[in-house]
Amino acid sequence: MMTRDIVVAGERLTLHAQRAVYWAAQRMLLVSDVHFGKGAVFRRAGIAVPSGDTDDDLARLDALIAEFTPERLVVLGDLVHGAATERSAWVERVRAWRQSHTGVEVTLVAGNHDRHFDVRSLGIDVVPDRLDVAPFVLSHHPHPQAAGYTLAGHVHPGVVIRDGWRRHRLPAFVFDRDVGMLPAFGTLTGLHEVEACAGRQIIAVTPAGLVPAR
Amino acid sequence: MHAPTGTGKTLAAAGGPLIDGLLRPQTGLQLIWITPLRSLATDTAQHLGAAVEAMGLPWRVLRRTGDSGSAERAKLRRGACELLVTTPESLALLLSYPDARERFAHLRGIVVDEWHELIGNKRGTLLQLGLARLHRWLPALRTWGLSATLGNLDEALHALASDGVLIGGSSRKKTHIDTALPDGGERFPWAGHLGLSQLPRVLDAVLAVKTSLVFANTRSQAELWHEALASVWPGPPETLALHHGSIDPKLRFATEESLRLGTLRCVVATSSLDLGVDFSSVEQVVQVGSPKSIARLLQRAGRSGHQPGMPSRILCVPTHLLELAEIAAARRALSEDHLEPRHPMRGCLDVLAQHLLTMALGGGFTADDAYAEITSSLAYAQLPRERFDAVLAYLRTGGTALASYPEYQKLIETEGRFHVDSGRIARMHRMSIGTITSDGSLQVRYMKGARLGTVEESFLSRLRPGDRFLFAGRNLELVRVRDMTAYVRAAPNRRGGVPRWMGGRLPLSGELSDELRRTLAEGAPRSAEMRTLAPLLDIQRRRSSVPDAEETLCERTRTREGDYLFLFPFAGRLAHEGLAAVLAYRLARLQPGDYGYAVNDYGLTITAARMPPLDADAMRQLLHPARLRTDIRASFNLTELARRQFREVARVAGLVFNGYPAAGKTLRQLQASSGLLFDVLRRHDPTHPLLWQAEREVLDQQLDYTRLRACLVRIARSRLLWREPKRLSPFAFPLWVERLRGGIATDDWKSRVERMLATLETDADT
Repeated sequence: MMTRDIVVAGERLTLHAQRAVYWAAQRMLLVSDVHFGKGAVFRRAGIAVPSGDTDDDLARLDALIAEFTPERLVVLGDLVHGAATERSAWVERVRAWRQSHTGVEVTLVAGNHDRHFDVRSLGIDVVPDRLDVAPFVLSHHPHPQAAGYTLAGHVHPGVVIRDGWRRHRLPAFVFDRDVGMLPAFGTLTGLHEVEACAGRQIIAVTPAGLVPAR
Repeated sequence: MHAPTGTGKTLAAAGGPLIDGLLRPQTGLQLIWITPLRSLATDTAQHLGAAVEAMGLPWRVLRRTGDSGSAERAKLRRGACELLVTTPESLALLLSYPDARERFAHLRGIVVDEWHELIGNKRGTLLQLGLARLHRWLPALRTWGLSATLGNLDEALHALASDGVLIGGSSRKKTHIDTALPDGGERFPWAGHLGLSQLPRVLDAVLAVKTSLVFANTRSQAELWHEALASVWPGPPETLALHHGSIDPKLRFATEESLRLGTLRCVVATSSLDLGVDFSSVEQVVQVGSPKSIARLLQRAGRSGHQPGMPSRILCVPTHLLELAEIAAARRALSEDHLEPRHPMRGCLDVLAQHLLTMALGGGFTADDAYAEITSSLAYAQLPRERFDAVLAYLRTGGTALASYPEYQKLIETEGRFHVDSGRIARMHRMSIGTITSDGSLQVRYMKGARLGTVEESFLSRLRPGDRFLFAGRNLELVRVRDMTAYVRAAPNRRGGVPRWMGGRLPLSGELSDELRRTLAEGAPRSAEMRTLAPLLDIQRRRSSVPDAEETLCERTRTREGDYLFLFPFAGRLAHEGLAAVLAYRLARLQPGDYGYAVNDYGLTITAARMPPLDADAMRQLLHPARLRTDIRASFNLTELARRQFREVARVAGLVFNGYPAAGKTLRQLQASSGLLFDVLRRHDPTHPLLWQAEREVLDQQLDYTRLRACLVRIARSRLLWREPKRLSPFAFPLWVERLRGGIATDDWKSRVERMLATLETDADT
């Protein structure tokens, strides 16, 4: 239940309930909207958000890397949330984490938040708009592209699932005809509810696994 | 001092200090007058100003509330007044300035007006702490409290002054309660809380006298009633007005001024007009919906007939049939002088945290002195030192989960004295003083700039530009939302909704619930209300039963939506909510599953896809009072109650900052963080004093633990009536339409996912 294989644009993708996609043919792990340092931004604004969000997210990445042993990790934008300095606590942690995975190539397709901090100093490659790996166009914004099927983030898609009298609001993977959207990876991220419609496949992420939404 | 309104309480309390002021003239702040409502401050300031002038005292009278303009604030900062009319929050703010002690050096007296309004809530706690501060500085300070009649006057006295004297007026004004009864043959709803079907009857009553106040129980209800009345209003539109706490102060003052001048025929209001201000023009009071408490009914009725010797009149307008019984019960209780007590809250750690920061800003403190001062108040008399130290530690470090973040180290200790170093922390604290919380709210103003009031963000976030809604008695169209302000323009009509505000519905008081049970159990109807209700009670009797005083009714009905269990303890929605959680928890132990519940003032319902087999004996066991506390704790771990309560606690204690008044839109995304914080504190710092406070508040106030326990004991002694009606009974129907309040799930995510996947497969097969 933690993973689910689907075929998109002729390629087999493994969706993982830790809000990641593994593309086995390319040995590529995809995540989106990590928003490192969001807790620090909250705290600077006087909102007490407890520490530990960065560590949790890094540990989840570690587990995914251990499970799939990818050659490459691609982040579909918004790896960081807000302005930081080289000495910010979360920057130090991410740098240490990066150094513990020298065998994995890490690439960021820059998103709107990434202008706040240049992650190249941490040993992460940055491409500005999109990364084409046929048949996919990997980008932050979910716009359809002539060059291929878009895999994107940005939206933080979520869906409401009914279970008896209860309604659960859950992050989700969304696949349309030309664009697929990943749920936000970061712990401290919100949700944008998407509507079901014809030709759209929605797979909800629960703490115990993946559930296709009707 | 307790006496009915219109007997001169104000001058009685102010008299001493005023005469004293003549005998021993001084300048600087002489007398503080605390009032619970901003709308009262203006009137009181005028009233006292007239007295000061008549006596030829050279005192300057100033009003300082959250509504005050910057000119008044500046005057106050310069110390340019002898008599200050203010609120508990503004007093706390004054105490937070470094020169607070000098400012209060010449104070002769402090008067707490309408103490009954403050005693039972955190504002009263905050005031008690402020008084402890003043009494410490000025041991000879004279203190007066003015209160309406309460069920516990001695305790109310003790909370203000441990060695005080109670002065009472014994005779109460006569109160006439009339009810707008539906005509025979008229279909009257079984459920609902708006009551607009009664509009013609209310209009007739309003037009029959010169000036009426129409009280609604919630702000949205007031908006809708104002709109309805306006649509059929025969007089000039300016003679009908709306008054509630979210409307801009300027507009409210204008309404109050017109009431005073007698130019208004009718004002639709909420509790914002409950208190104090005497509008002698008001001849009649209309109460829409049950007043939910005997004291409130009495107080609202007292807004009419202010001339001495005139009786107060109130017309009660039921919004559904069963409310007739509540009105009949209220009249019975009033005739027997059963009024609700209001107990002061004890040991609130969030208010303590706020006050300690105020003390640190207002001159600093040592831990021992502060502990001695705080425990001199009734609210904290029994506070253990460990708890005090835990709150102090939270203010110094933020607690273990937040210890590594310097931004939470609000207090600095230097040679045993605590103070605040950062101007930023001081500014943020002063902006957050107070214990009244609301959802993040946005200003509503016209494009041209005129302000209309505030609406909660949760409502506006569902609107898109171009959408229309009703607010402050006007049809508005949203133009745009920018910088925490919603810009609107007038709209010709309304298509959209009415804003809902938090803290909406009032629970039925314990005294009124007890009386309601007795009223329903009476054999032959003794009042017009109960005679009108008789046909409904007949249907209830035919489909199920009407319990007498020694019986408890339990029904089970299957509808298309699912399996429903109904229980009718008539103990008020607070106790029912706790009981529903416990019952759902115990049912889930009997048979795992996901149980949802809903409550109202009469009973509770539990629903599930499939209920375990039940009968009277099984119910008796499920409702047994043994292990109640343990089960409440277990069930409440699984619910949202504590998380919801934590929002307020975190705000009051300064853990979450509401934001600068004019801050940009980036704050929007920061406002929902208390839920997140709650989760992480539970995980990383489970002994945090604010978690403890949230849990205690849920038990004591939200679930009314004392009443809940008494209710279970009563059920255990009563005869349990088990009924399985084929159709929903009149008692069950209002519960069935009630929105589910929460649920107890013993299934984990794994089994839920399995169930959801299984449902998908069955659906695919069919």
